[in-house]
Amino acid sequence: MKVSLNWLKDFVDINVSLDELCEKLVSAGFEVEEIIEQGKNFRNVKLGKIEQITKHPDADKLQICQINVGLEENVQIVTGANNIKEGDLVPVALHDSLLPTGQVIKKGKLRGVDSFGMLCSGEELMLTEADYAGAGVYGILIMNKEKFPVGTDIVEVLGYDDVILDIGVTANRSDCNSVLGIAREVSTVLKTPLKMPNFEYKVEDFDTKDFVGVEVQNSELCPRYMAEVVKDIKIVPSAELIQKRLKAVGLRPINNIVDITNYVLIEIGQPMHAFDLAFLDDSKIVVRNARDEKIVALDNNEYTLDNSILAICDSNKPCAVAGIMGGSNSCINENTKDIVFESAKFLRDNIRRSSRKLNLRSDSSFRFERGIDFESQAMGMKRALALISQYGYGKIARSWVDEKCVDLSEQTIQVTTDKINSILGIEVPAQTMVDILNSLQIKTTLDGNVLTCVQPSFRDDIENANDLAEEIIRLYGYDHINCTLMDNSHQTIGGKTQAQKNVDILKEIAVAKGYNEILTYSFTSPKAFDVLRMEENDPLRKSVRILNPLGEDMSVMRTTLSYSMLNALAKNYLKSIKSARLFEVSHVYLPTDDMTVQPEERNMLVFGMYGEGADYYAIKSMVEVVAQKFGLNVDYVRANISYMHSGRTADIMVGEKKLGYVGEVHPLVSASLDVKDRMYLCELDLEVLNEVADYSYKFQEIAKYPPVERDIAVVLDESVLAADILRAVEKGGGNMLCDKYIFDIYRNPLAIGQDKKSVAIKLIFRLADRTLTEDEVNGKINRILTKLSQEFGATLR
Amino acid sequence: MKEKITKLIEHAKQAVAQCEIVSQINDAKVKFLGKNGELTALLKGMKDVPADQKPEIGKFVNHARDVIGELLENKSKELAAKELEAKMKKESLDITLDSGETKRGSLHPCTLVQNQIIDIFTGLGFKIAQGPEIELDFFNFQALNIPKDHPARDMQDTFYVGDEMLLRTHTSPVQVRTMTNQQPPIRIICPGKVYRPDDDATHSPMFQQIEGLVVDEHITLCDLKGILEKFAQELFDENTKTRLRPSYFPFTEPSVEVDVTCSVCHGKGCRICKGTGWIEILGAGIVNPKVLDNCGIDSTKYTGFAFGLGIERIAMIKYGIPDMRILFDNDVRFLKEFK
Repeated sequence: MKVSLNWLKDFVDINVSLDELCEKLVSAGFEVEEIIEQGKNFRNVKLGKIEQITKHPDADKLQICQINVGLEENVQIVTGANNIKEGDLVPVALHDSLLPTGQVIKKGKLRGVDSFGMLCSGEELMLTEADYAGAGVYGILIMNKEKFPVGTDIVEVLGYDDVILDIGVTANRSDCNSVLGIAREVSTVLKTPLKMPNFEYKVEDFDTKDFVGVEVQNSELCPRYMAEVVKDIKIVPSAELIQKRLKAVGLRPINNIVDITNYVLIEIGQPMHAFDLAFLDDSKIVVRNARDEKIVALDNNEYTLDNSILAICDSNKPCAVAGIMGGSNSCINENTKDIVFESAKFLRDNIRRSSRKLNLRSDSSFRFERGIDFESQAMGMKRALALISQYGYGKIARSWVDEKCVDLSEQTIQVTTDKINSILGIEVPAQTMVDILNSLQIKTTLDGNVLTCVQPSFRDDIENANDLAEEIIRLYGYDHINCTLMDNSHQTIGGKTQAQKNVDILKEIAVAKGYNEILTYSFTSPKAFDVLRMEENDPLRKSVRILNPLGEDMSVMRTTLSYSMLNALAKNYLKSIKSARLFEVSHVYLPTDDMTVQPEERNMLVFGMYGEGADYYAIKSMVEVVAQKFGLNVDYVRANISYMHSGRTADIMVGEKKLGYVGEVHPLVSASLDVKDRMYLCELDLEVLNEVADYSYKFQEIAKYPPVERDIAVVLDESVLAADILRAVEKGGGNMLCDKYIFDIYRNPLAIGQDKKSVAIKLIFRLADRTLTEDEVNGKINRILTKLSQEFGATLR
Repeated sequence: MKEKITKLIEHAKQAVAQCEIVSQINDAKVKFLGKNGELTALLKGMKDVPADQKPEIGKFVNHARDVIGELLENKSKELAAKELEAKMKKESLDITLDSGETKRGSLHPCTLVQNQIIDIFTGLGFKIAQGPEIELDFFNFQALNIPKDHPARDMQDTFYVGDEMLLRTHTSPVQVRTMTNQQPPIRIICPGKVYRPDDDATHSPMFQQIEGLVVDEHITLCDLKGILEKFAQELFDENTKTRLRPSYFPFTEPSVEVDVTCSVCHGKGCRICKGTGWIEILGAGIVNPKVLDNCGIDSTKYTGFAFGLGIERIAMIKYGIPDMRILFDNDVRFLKEFK
């Protein structure tokens, strides 16, 4: 909320410096977001009179002006402008002057002629037509209407003597969206009295109800509607003070009547509207729900008002969207003679909904959304009428129409001082509490340790002990709050759950293996599913859609981490980064069939890599480490995943449960991301991991008897999987075989045949209770070879 | 005889001194002490020694064997050591050369900050609570004293996925879910992703928060300040001071913004703190009794405090990152700056 300091001073004496005022406002809960000192960015710019213009001897387009700026001698300035004549009053930037654009003007020579400054255009002074008539003209700003003597500082000519504070008003303090509301806070923090505005006005011998009929059909949405007729209006520009103040807070002056409604809105916080009585059919005002009617609002856009939207109508048509914006069909214009002022209260929630539905906001709707108290309608109306009266703009009816359905009973809150202190944790003297609350116009009395507080109508946010505690401490001062460490409460045991610890463990494994953690958005593009080549009926296509996304590419909640990972890899690849190993732990979101039930959120881990050292086995090693850490027996089963290489991808199975997949990315997917390197992915479902993880460790005695190691090499078909070979070896080896692994694979079509491989296997035999004999070992090896031969046609090499 | 032996010893001494490699020592050993060596040859002359001198000469021969043996032994050790030294010198590596092993990766700066915060609070007896990111309007707003069409909803623009379902705008719904399922004492922190439709240098449509909640008997605003000051001192440095300023959140009353002294300039004023010496790091307050009541906790018996902060913002302050979007860029060169 922008507040003019001069305006504020109408209602409260400010006996401290600007800095101190701002500091006090901040410590009372009103953040001062910006301090705009008008005229601060001008220096040494004066009002001057062009006494003489002569041609520049060496330049056709330049003129030499002798300017009177109130000094003994005229100042010579060379200008290229041609909209000036002798006798004109113009803004003159003298030597060493500063313009609000940041430009510093110094004396110089133009084509050999001395120039001691510059004549300024409106643009160079950062003025618009709204700030000063003629400022929008191309050329020097002509100020011939000014009565100020030549030499007057331009800041004074422009009336820039104000300071504008941009104050952040929190959503609970709707009473402070006005100059008067801020003045009330200032008077409290500075302990100076609040002076109320002038509400006096002179009335004429007629009644509003004889000129306009008011009917409120929906008193729930419109609990109060006041109307007052003003006749024989003369539409003129507003008085200078009103224009200046409106401009200072960013409003464009329009005419005396519209300006008064805006002035009251800013000053009192009560939105008002003025109708041209001549355009109200049957001189009626009907407050009712709209009936899918159209209205052209004051912004010149047409809106269709549905039944949920409250409209201010005459007997036929809507004339305003209640609380949001007037209609152009009944607005004040230069021929307006008689008007009706509206000062109403509209239901907060309804205005908020309607404003969003129409996508139409205004200063008025903003204040209604925040909440307007019941006493402010009469106050706003009286203030508007006082201004009409003060400036003699028209004849005021002696009575108004006031349709209200309001319960104005006082709310009182009783609370002990002990309760307040128990919230704050300090001892605030009881009398101090009483004084603070009373200064905030919360009428408070003390009986023993019981505070009885009356809620003022403009503070409906004050409801309980905590609300009062906040009012007290923000004025008593937060610097009174000490630091204590929950000395009087229970001990608790903190820490992480196993699942939370598992995430830490996995991240540490990933980092140790050279992976960098990434952070990607949970939402993605629906095109992701196409890039991943998913079939139309792929279950992962079923996703949660955001109804109001920032863009189509951030509109669905991801069902796999693969796409974000692939994008991160591709992004690095396209920056010519030679290799990358990345990982991420995050949720995927799997919708249920019933859209009113929250989707399932599963925590997943994804690894991705390309470049140096990247291959299937490098990424598979991550699964091996994870399996080792979490005690898993993992099976790899050839997988069919739309975005993965069909020959180089495995599902990772733990028993019947699928832990995830690992493999190489489908060449077409890489191609569609413009990546020419092979990329590798592994995605693990951490919910499954947490379920199947085995955290138990048991001591096993270290074998006393020596092992017997043997190597065998068998030739078999290329298609036989290592896991199957080892399974057969295990079957053949029985309990004597304590370990086995493949240590070499040899391929040579000439030596061992086409599509064949020779697999070298290390066999380690041992028994716990005795040394093995040579015969026993040989017997087992024969059994193993037989098994391999039976199952795969393997031959000993 | 004695003379010969003495000469032999002298001779051996010279020979050993001339040895340069271990194999020469072996040759010398054979030459002097071997079966056909010189000492053995001398011994053959023993038969000519008069009987009464035999014991003395015998002793002297033994002495000579010992002396020569020792000479050989010492020289052998010396040469072996030399040779080993020479071998190691030859085997010398460029000890500065990189191992070529896979380098350690890195945690995301947000994870580093989050881990540090979690460590501080778990040490203070806080548990970690988590909850759904796609949340019901009730838990995200209504239970937190933000009814539908309440102006406070303007404070948090929202992504909706249905009439009553949305992407949570803060992790506060986790507090509500905890309080509806558990009676005090409650001490939790709730880390997690949250969503609001903003996208610029200081806002991201997805970001991460950590909120904390304490509900117990005798909890006061002073406890809030004390815990948060300890927290800030752990997170930044031990001289960090905190300051409370009044603010407004619908779910806390009184509500405060918490500023800490700038960790860069220690309160003198710099670019990071925009010359004020203070940096706003979190919002906090005493839990609104209406929220306790909404969750089935007796607000006449228990009080609580809550606080919330943005992980990205803290990471930006801590590591001097100027633009929030860098955190989501996933450029390996940036990620490798962290450990």
